[in-house]
Amino acid sequence: MGDIAAIIHDYGVLLLVGQYPTGPLGGLALTFILAVLGLALAFPLSVILALARVSPFRLLYWPATALVYVMRGLPLIMLIFWVYFFLPVLLGRPVSGFSTLLATLVIYEAAYLAEIVRAGIESLPRGQMEAARSVGLTYMQAMRKVVLPQAIYNMIPAMLSQLVSTIKETSLGYVISVNELTFAANQINSTLLTKPFPVFVVLATIYFVLCFSLTQVARQLERRVARRRAGIAGATAAPLVVPDIAAIAE
Amino acid sequence: MIQFEGVNKWYGDYRALHDIDAIVAKGEVVVVCGPSGSGKSTLIRTVNRLEEIQKGRILFDGQDVHAPSLDVNRFRSRVGFVFQSFNLFPHLSVADNIMLAPTTVLRRDKSQARKRAEELLARVGLAAKIDAYPGQLSGGQQQRVAIARALAMDPPAMLFDEPTSALDPEMVGEVLQVMKSLARDGMTMICVTHEMNFAREVADRVLFMDHGRIVETGTPDGFFSNPQSDRAQRFLADLRSH
Repeated sequence: MGDIAAIIHDYGVLLLVGQYPTGPLGGLALTFILAVLGLALAFPLSVILALARVSPFRLLYWPATALVYVMRGLPLIMLIFWVYFFLPVLLGRPVSGFSTLLATLVIYEAAYLAEIVRAGIESLPRGQMEAARSVGLTYMQAMRKVVLPQAIYNMIPAMLSQLVSTIKETSLGYVISVNELTFAANQINSTLLTKPFPVFVVLATIYFVLCFSLTQVARQLERRVARRRAGIAGATAAPLVVPDIAAIAE
Repeated sequence: MIQFEGVNKWYGDYRALHDIDAIVAKGEVVVVCGPSGSGKSTLIRTVNRLEEIQKGRILFDGQDVHAPSLDVNRFRSRVGFVFQSFNLFPHLSVADNIMLAPTTVLRRDKSQARKRAEELLARVGLAAKIDAYPGQLSGGQQQRVAIARALAMDPPAMLFDEPTSALDPEMVGEVLQVMKSLARDGMTMICVTHEMNFAREVADRVLFMDHGRIVETGTPDGFFSNPQSDRAQRFLADLRSH
């Protein structure tokens, strides 16, 4: 226990923010930024992919489907190597570890998010699209104004779970020397040499606390979404309504 | 105004519509009834192209509805459609449900569209619910909002696909009331419904369907009190025994 306390005391700041502000930002902050930014940038891409995946046009369906299957069938670390070695060649200039990992995450997570968005679209009753089309909206207008807002809202908990996965996946940045949380912990381990156990207990605890809390938030949201999907639509400030109205509506 | 000429539809090998010929005149109210699976819902869904047909023609104001050159979105906005399951948009308020098509398709400005929404809601007796969400309304109220939503595009004709079948009995009346007032105002309507009283009161004609064919056509009084075909007689006997 004394070791752990000492590590937190001596290296806590390094684990949280790296060498910031005197050096580059790292540690938990960088891990979190990578995960959030990766998902945020992947999101618009994933919506486009999902729309292509539910499209009746083969020209859209097949490439998107192929991309999604390929991404989901490859280990992330291999993809990181691909981007690490080929992106600089492609761009003709060196690419930082941060950008490499971020680019990889965006491509990889877009495939996973696309399947989440697609599931959201397909789980809506067909009548929503039909009702939107029958008042004269085009397919894309119906998607934008009626289907996607509901699909994405319903899928927020699943996306939050994806954020948890992504946080854990950023630890692979270690192999290309991105100074995220795992990298920082390993630096400490190399400095101390004789204390691997307490160092990695601290590392595990940090990951666990972050991911476990986010999972709890996702579960809470899931319950809320399930309630609303059951027909208690009262948006923003509207109070919850008695459930039997929902039953009548069904 | 709406004309079916030798309309046929297949789902794979199954023939859902069988040489349908019918004419609905402007201002006419036609009730379509028949046992489940007789093709009545399929029939009205072909009118606004929710279902494609394989043979024949459907003319709306002389325009071929299934012509490839037709601007289907503009056309659909001219035919109001009311679903059995309401299909209101649960993430939008009542006002936004009604205003969505006018502001998106016709590009009307918001205040103008909102004013129209207020008028339409008053017409279906729900002026107070303009800022409610669909999940807060009863089934009958939701269906009346759905009618207002369809009316917001000022369609010259309305199609009703079993609008009261999903409702509790005590809510059927309020929806039929709205439909009756539309009929009296001269709206051209095709209604798939088993509500005999509604048919007797406002329908000009009844079409009876079975196995994808129109088996019998007649005035409501004639059809309900003196059906000609065996199938219609059995159907009406079943309907009355419930």
